[in-house]
Amino acid sequence: MKVVLNDLVKNFANSERAAVNRINLVIDDGELAVLLGPSGCGKTTTLRMIAGLEQPDSGRITIADRDITDLAPKDRRVAMVFQNFSMYPTMNVYDNIAFPLHAIKMDRKAIDQTVREMARLVNIDHLLERGVRQVSGGEAQRVALARAMVRRPEVFLMDEPLSNLDAKLRVQLRTEIKRLHQDTGTTFIFVTHDQEEAMTLGDKIIVMNQGDIQQVGTPHEVFFAPRNAFVANFVGTPSMNMLRGRARAGDDGGFRAELPGFELRLPDRFAAGLRRMRGDQVIWGIRPEAIRLVAAPAENTVTGEVELVEALGSRDLIFARVGEQLFGVIVDALESAQVGDTCHLHFDGAKMHLFNAETEDSLLQFSAAEPA
Amino acid sequence: MRVPTSERALAYVILIALAALVLIPVLFGSITAFKPQIIWVSSPPTWIFEPTLENFEFVFIQRKGWQYLRNSLIISSGSVIIALLLGVPAAYAFARFRFRGSKALMQWLISLRMIPPIVVGLPFYAMFLFLERGLNIGLRDTYPGLIITYQTFLLPLVIWMMRGYFVELPAAMEESAMVEGYTRLGALLRVVLPVVWPGIVATAILNFIFAWNEFFLALILSGNRTSTLPMSAGTYIVRTRVEWGNLFAVNLIIMVPVIVLTIILRRQLVKGLTFGILE
Repeated sequence: MKVVLNDLVKNFANSERAAVNRINLVIDDGELAVLLGPSGCGKTTTLRMIAGLEQPDSGRITIADRDITDLAPKDRRVAMVFQNFSMYPTMNVYDNIAFPLHAIKMDRKAIDQTVREMARLVNIDHLLERGVRQVSGGEAQRVALARAMVRRPEVFLMDEPLSNLDAKLRVQLRTEIKRLHQDTGTTFIFVTHDQEEAMTLGDKIIVMNQGDIQQVGTPHEVFFAPRNAFVANFVGTPSMNMLRGRARAGDDGGFRAELPGFELRLPDRFAAGLRRMRGDQVIWGIRPEAIRLVAAPAENTVTGEVELVEALGSRDLIFARVGEQLFGVIVDALESAQVGDTCHLHFDGAKMHLFNAETEDSLLQFSAAEPA
Repeated sequence: MRVPTSERALAYVILIALAALVLIPVLFGSITAFKPQIIWVSSPPTWIFEPTLENFEFVFIQRKGWQYLRNSLIISSGSVIIALLLGVPAAYAFARFRFRGSKALMQWLISLRMIPPIVVGLPFYAMFLFLERGLNIGLRDTYPGLIITYQTFLLPLVIWMMRGYFVELPAAMEESAMVEGYTRLGALLRVVLPVVWPGIVATAILNFIFAWNEFFLALILSGNRTSTLPMSAGTYIVRTRVEWGNLFAVNLIIMVPVIVLTIILRRQLVKGLTFGILE
């Protein structure tokens, strides 16, 4: 079902800054939306307001055009999976999954059928008689998934459900959640601080920081076209190389960036934004994947020295020093460099990012109709 | 973890010594309870004798011990039940909600445990007298009177102990139940209480022992109708002598229910007192 957040505000008594600062958001029916941001950004508070576990100070929440803002959690037809809780410890797996069904007084036979069906769906049908001590962390989180699905909620909320699992299990369950989403067609809202998790899972990613929504977009949009310096920096590992500097009009009509220790020609797509900008202070950025090592200096190359090489498997992450600045560069492992080598870094203009240093907004022109 | 045999042996020696220190007087007294009056205080003590129940017969039947026992049972279990009914929900509220003055209130509650009974005993007596004369509400020498008074000491203990158990549990446990179709109360009853059940048992036993042993407040606030066992024990210490055999018989009557209760509930008690440690 479609979920709409309207001017949602939440303040906590012990904090001066709003936990959630008048946010507006539309999540379409059947979408898998991921709320992504660092801890304290308001993503979990937002999710808890949708669940009814926190009451917003102002604003409305609707699910399928039904205003649920003032309803008790149990009446919202949502389900939730938590990070630090998966199974009711006094019940076995079967009773855990059946628990939400007892609340609606379903008859015993129907309960039995539903429990077994859900258990099969998440591959725990062989564990039904087990107690909480006899299942692994991953299995317990599957129990939580089954229990959440059992009442066929309109919206499925997940608050970092994979964060307490080890890396391999996390990847495995991530895939299963994606499959579950495809099989059920239910709207999922998933909260995580792990941008890789967000990218792999989400149809739509909502990047949050300090109670505000920074950007809403597909994984590609937030990665390739970040709307501001925060999103650019937060999304992607290793993170984007960013430098503060000054932009000025060049002799050829284009713009050039004066950065600490070197100068670059900026691509024309920033021209309109730069002309409209007040002042000339900018943040320039480029992802480690967008830098190439070249044999000889040319335009938009700088020369540096390799300081550190980290092996990532098929690729290496090189840290090259250019003056004061360390650049992260991702290169094919077979074309890697040695510590101490002199290297020429080439910055592809098409992959550069540029932000207003004062507002931190992107200097690319986004159409005004799109919500920020 | 494996403990070396030598260390284990040393631990046992120390534990046995400590247990002996506590238990030998109890054993000595308990033996005396079965001695005929003539050898109660014989010197040196008589160890070989034909055990008799005459002391028990005397305190139970002639001195109406069964009445005291009944009073003690009613007052102690009544106090514990009321303290749990009021204290468990309060402890849950303290564990889960922050409200104005919640921290100060918790500190005030623990301070109640520190004051000696005499500090509240006399004011309670004065209040009861006022209620009786002014409003015609009789609480002196009644079960409710003592049960209410004992809440001063039992409620803080219940709230502090139970809050500790609730705080250990993730809030997501009842939040999960609330999203799954239950009210907060429903979640508390169906999900949280079953988990903290051993804690409730441990709390109940400790509180029961307090009420069961309580002497001073009962001395001030009870009377002929509601005298408790510890008070009856006092009646065997008279001006001219101590009736040792009868006194120790009452002692045993006081001890046995607590021991039986603890043995029956020992699994829950151990689980409750070590809550969170063994997980």
